[in-house]
Amino acid sequence: MRILGIDLGSREVKIVVMEKDKIVIKKKISTMKFYRDYCSFDGKVIVDLGKLDIGEIDRAVSTGYGKNNTNLKLFTQINEIKAHVYGAMYQTGLKDFILLDVGGQDVKVIKVEKGITTDLELNEKCAASCGRYLENMANVLEVSLDEMSKHYKDPVELNSTCAVFSESELIGSIAEGVSVEKLYAGVNYSLYKRLRPLLSKFKGKQLILAGGVANNLAIREYLQNDYSEIISIEEPQFNGAIGCCYYGSRFLRED
Amino acid sequence: MLKKIGLTTTVPVEVLVTAGYSPVDLNNIFITSEDYLKYIDIAERDGFPKSLCAWIKGIYGACLENDIKEIVGVVEGDCSNTRALIEVLQLKGIKVYPFSFPHSHNLKDVEIEIRKFMNIFNVTEESVEQTRQRLNKLRELAKEIDELTYLENKVNGFENHIYQISLSDFNGNVDNFENSLKDAISEIKQRKPINRKVRLGYIGVPPMTGDIYEFVESLDAHFVYNEVQREFAFPRAITAKNIFEQYYDYTYPYNTTFRINELKKQIEERKIDAIIHYTQAFCYRAVEDIVLKKQLDIPILNIEGDKLNVLDARTKLRLEAFIDMLSDLKEAN
Repeated sequence: MRILGIDLGSREVKIVVMEKDKIVIKKKISTMKFYRDYCSFDGKVIVDLGKLDIGEIDRAVSTGYGKNNTNLKLFTQINEIKAHVYGAMYQTGLKDFILLDVGGQDVKVIKVEKGITTDLELNEKCAASCGRYLENMANVLEVSLDEMSKHYKDPVELNSTCAVFSESELIGSIAEGVSVEKLYAGVNYSLYKRLRPLLSKFKGKQLILAGGVANNLAIREYLQNDYSEIISIEEPQFNGAIGCCYYGSRFLRED
Repeated sequence: MLKKIGLTTTVPVEVLVTAGYSPVDLNNIFITSEDYLKYIDIAERDGFPKSLCAWIKGIYGACLENDIKEIVGVVEGDCSNTRALIEVLQLKGIKVYPFSFPHSHNLKDVEIEIRKFMNIFNVTEESVEQTRQRLNKLRELAKEIDELTYLENKVNGFENHIYQISLSDFNGNVDNFENSLKDAISEIKQRKPINRKVRLGYIGVPPMTGDIYEFVESLDAHFVYNEVQREFAFPRAITAKNIFEQYYDYTYPYNTTFRINELKKQIEERKIDAIIHYTQAFCYRAVEDIVLKKQLDIPILNIEGDKLNVLDARTKLRLEAFIDMLSDLKEAN
């Protein structure tokens, strides 16, 4: 049986196809492009599976960022919390963990005990603790995200709570001649500082990192002090889509 | 007119009824009152700390506002805050009779405490036993309602909660309450079973947030077990040889291990899928959650209530996420 899982993120749409519990296809399409080039609208969003070029599909499950239209025609829609938990369970085999998912525009912290979600916290107020913030700051610094994410030592202080104010604060530091390494580390550290209060309610041993920001080495480094073990998953950005497939294969009943 | 006596938690009520008192569970007055926040406020104005369980403050306010002149204060086996609560009530001129559920949880020690209690109220063991036999008739009726809940699915979780909990004071009148139980049973038997996807157990002290019952039902789940409420009703009193055994075989005030044995039995018998463990903010019982989660091989969600008498948005979200995944598992099996 082939199952399609789609996670409609704020920046990118992640597409995974699973066959017999194995991932056989993975692809990312920018959110704009996905809706524009792969979908039509008729009361509900209709995905042109032919254009996606993923072959025959038996079941399709979708999830996504809360404010988007993630209810696709012919898809079973599941909430993003569940999708990410199932993704993490599939990828780690763990049943008890804390999942930190930092995406393009939102942050989720989820506690899982005995394989079931028991607590969660979402940050929907401001994107200053999300991937988009890192992107903006990298643009200001004219550096790639990958390069910026490697630096964690000796961060410059950035104290603004707002993403826009942080930019001017950063520019102030650039003008003062602070080294680029310190600036890179400063950006990473300021994101970590905003995540910390959210995580303080979620003490535990094992933390699974997911979402695009999981690729940020500096954030991982900082988190290391707060948890006994930081567990990285191979496909942090595909976690939600993988969770959709997992749901489709384990729980979805044939109608 | 019988003299009223306030209770801070369930005590050997047989003794009080024999002595000619009408027991009033202060918890019930507090939580069913529209003035429940006012009661908490009264306590805080009199100096009770913000960071103290809302039940204690509510009991205090309810006691003062409802003209209760005498109370039984449980100084061992319930929460240690009660000890301080009764000191303040004494200061307000309220007569306090102490009672203890001994930590040792030894039948002999339970007997000693109950005998002390009988002496305070000047009643004999024989007359208490007669009352016990009388009250056991009501306990059997409550047990029947409980069975109609989990065996026939004809009673919803909230009704079950209310009927079981009311046996702590028989709503102030044994005969009237017996009739209302009988009426309820005959009405319930006519009903069609309520079938919901997920079967939940409610454990921990009764909730400040009574709407939890309705809320879980909206998620296609229902409570088929109310742990402490059921203990307040003493379903096993009928088989106890005497009052000492009855209050010895009571899981609420003693250690967690003893409580867990009964929980395991009930989870099995009632085919419970998962447990919602309610704890009150600032209560030591939240720590027991660690032991319960370890010892019970079933998903457990710990939720906490404070002053609000309705569920907050965050707790609702947690319940939703928890029940959503339980439904998945149920579907898969």
